[in-house]
Amino acid sequence: MMKDITEQEVIDLPDMDVEAFNEFAVEQGWSDGMPLYVPTEAKVAKFVDTVRGDNRPIPPVPPRQVVPTLQSMAANAVMAGCKPEYFPVVTAALRAVLDPEYNLHGSLATTHSCAPVIMVSGPIRHQLGINCGSNCFGQGWRPNATIGRALGLMLLNIAGAKPGEMDRSTQGNPAKYTFCFGENEEENPWPPYHVQRGFAPTDNVVTVMSGEGPHNLNDHGSTTGEGLLTTFAGGMSNPGANTIYGKGPMLVIIGPEHAATLKRDGFTIETIREELFRRSRVHVSRISKANQETYTSTGHKPDGDWFSIGRSPQDIHITVAGGPGKHSAFIPSFGGTTVASVRIAG
Amino acid sequence: MRIVNPAFGVSATSGEKVALKPVNWTTDAIALVSNSKPNARELLAGIREKLGATRKIDNIDFLSKNSASQPAPKDVIEEVAAKYRGALLAIAD
Repeated sequence: MMKDITEQEVIDLPDMDVEAFNEFAVEQGWSDGMPLYVPTEAKVAKFVDTVRGDNRPIPPVPPRQVVPTLQSMAANAVMAGCKPEYFPVVTAALRAVLDPEYNLHGSLATTHSCAPVIMVSGPIRHQLGINCGSNCFGQGWRPNATIGRALGLMLLNIAGAKPGEMDRSTQGNPAKYTFCFGENEEENPWPPYHVQRGFAPTDNVVTVMSGEGPHNLNDHGSTTGEGLLTTFAGGMSNPGANTIYGKGPMLVIIGPEHAATLKRDGFTIETIREELFRRSRVHVSRISKANQETYTSTGHKPDGDWFSIGRSPQDIHITVAGGPGKHSAFIPSFGGTTVASVRIAG
Repeated sequence: MRIVNPAFGVSATSGEKVALKPVNWTTDAIALVSNSKPNARELLAGIREKLGATRKIDNIDFLSKNSASQPAPKDVIEEVAAKYRGALLAIAD
């Protein structure tokens, strides 16, 4: 391995093919294990051109505490397979995870399985072809796959979250490769998530949370909103969730068919939050005595015989994504984190 | 070929040298800081007890942060800096 390579912004290498570059990248520790594009100066320049005019400084990126350049950020987006026009979304995602309340250092170094969950709102979803419908958490769409991957590579290479070294996750999570999707604003009967947070409907916004993978909430039988909430709350009531003691946010991503039923029955975002918060509490009988003692001794006391899975109903962040079918998803967070939203420049 | 280094960044820490006085682990005040994960306190208590075989331990104190997932609060860091010459952290599970 070259000794001083991290100190060079541009590296002169002998001409090599893609396979040889990938071997070199693995040796440098730059790879997530999947093939990488070559971040040539020319390719990187095209990406940087897309964010000209966005002169807000990037803060130091923990744990490594270095300030990246647009070029080094773009190199990761190139390697991930992004198109240049995705780069403003990638830079906004990096800015979002650098919100101090997101607790990037803790979320990267923890033994928990968390990874950045990226949700995109606004017209840019369609401009870039981000999947908001069927299989939106899955494979098959280049922007979903590569925007999330680009952020993951930046956290590996710039932040220094090397698996098994600084990234101490016990088991990890496939979302560490990528987890990016778009809101299904068109089938959301309530205001889109970014509008709930005070952005204009025409704003393009990236929202991030340090979360687990999606936990499916299957309900084909319930024909009322009341029935759906019973199922959702049951799926969320998890004595093994980090948030039961590390109080923090969570996402509930409702499928369009479930959302239509809830809307028809008069539920709003606020009433859904309140119902889910109340019904998803975990009874002490489902929590070991040792854990009860640990939670209580560190300030997380039960309310009577119940431990809540967040601090308040406002910890439950709700929107709509996905396509036809009777499924929704619950995405718990790391706990000591926040849901951060950043407007995409341009 | 010329590539851009994806790991490149400018260090945010200053190059200022900090003069550190050596810690005398046989006599100086020591902070044993728990990250509040289960058994951290027990681990540190065991260390304190073992140190008792070779030194006085009435100036070895337990401190903690209230969440393993969050940085130590400023007041804890300032207390360690003001009152102790060394600190041992229980940071693993």
